[in-house]
Amino acid sequence: MHNCREVKERLTELILEGRSDSELAAELNTCAECRAEFDVVNATLRTTTRVRETAIPAETYWPGYHARLRDKLSHVQVRRRKENTGASFAPLRLCVNFLLRPVPVPLAAALLVFPLLGLLAFQSTRKPAAPQSVVVHVPVTVPVVQEKLVTRVVYRNRYVPSRTSKRTGADSRAENTFAKSQMPRPDDVPTLAGFKPAADVKLTVIKGGSPNER
Amino acid sequence: MADDTELIKRAQAEDIDAFCTLAERYARRIHLLASHYCRNQQDAEDLSQEVWLKAYQALQSFRFDSSFYTWLRRITINAFLNHRRSGFFRRQGQTTAVQLMPLDSETLSESSLASSPENIYNKLLFDSVVDALSELTPSQRLAFLLRHYEGMSYEEIANAMNCSTGTVKKGVWRAITKLRARLSTESESQEALTSLANEY
Repeated sequence: MHNCREVKERLTELILEGRSDSELAAELNTCAECRAEFDVVNATLRTTTRVRETAIPAETYWPGYHARLRDKLSHVQVRRRKENTGASFAPLRLCVNFLLRPVPVPLAAALLVFPLLGLLAFQSTRKPAAPQSVVVHVPVTVPVVQEKLVTRVVYRNRYVPSRTSKRTGADSRAENTFAKSQMPRPDDVPTLAGFKPAADVKLTVIKGGSPNER
Repeated sequence: MADDTELIKRAQAEDIDAFCTLAERYARRIHLLASHYCRNQQDAEDLSQEVWLKAYQALQSFRFDSSFYTWLRRITINAFLNHRRSGFFRRQGQTTAVQLMPLDSETLSESSLASSPENIYNKLLFDSVVDALSELTPSQRLAFLLRHYEGMSYEEIANAMNCSTGTVKKGVWRAITKLRARLSTESESQEALTSLANEY
């Protein structure tokens, strides 16, 4: 049974491949619609074939085209030769590129400063070479300081009134009177007249002493 | 005249003259595809020359397993598809009605524009073909060109373009549909123009 859709799908193949299909041709003869479709597609493709030569520029265009192409090819060849030449120096170039590559400013500063600091530290720790030492025996007279023992016994008031305790005015007056009586009088203070102090002073503090203890 | 094999061997030894001779042999075929693929002459030249540069760089890998043109066509397809991926054609407007062609004196003297009315008509038809093809996706356009102009089978095209046979068939069919619509409109307007000219 004739199927227009199926025939139309096969039309393109038939025309593009340029082969004759007797069965399809018979079907085209029986269906006017398919025949018209075939004619239109065939005409379209023949037109595109006919005008395709129009796409090719005139003969005068080609010398310029090939000159431009040759120019580009020459550039490619030069670049390729440079690459080939450069390939033998690849490790050296790699090193140079590594050394010349851009470095961030803080990193560059650190690279400069740290070696300098290290050098300075090394210089400071290094002692200058000591000359050959010569032992010289020189007798030295050392003055001996004569020791004089001065003993001053200081009594500390053991009964310091507490701040928090509540006392009457009479008690505190009596206590003050007692403390004053215990303080040394000015005429009792031993003087240091005529004493020449030595370089060292020896002070002995006796803790926990009382007026009755020496 | 040296055959392809000899020229290829010389070109592989970095003989530019030999490679240019090869280019002169096949440049028209490559340029024809590029002209249908691109919308203007300058792009077509850039694309076709890029094909030759890629071919020159890859020539060392040619092992004489196939004909030179088959190998070159594979490079052409890849170059076209890479141009598509790089957005080379996207910047060209799909609805541009007027195209700026290079009109230097050299081209004008022998170009089809300066020739007979038949050539002018063919030029207009060709513009219509290119316009119709530009409405397709680059893959569909390339599939049609390879099928119609290069005579490649659907399987070969699918293999070269890394897609299914069904995709290729669909692309070719869509191209023919577009061309049919555009060219029928063109022929109608041509008939109208002819009748109008006859009246005067």
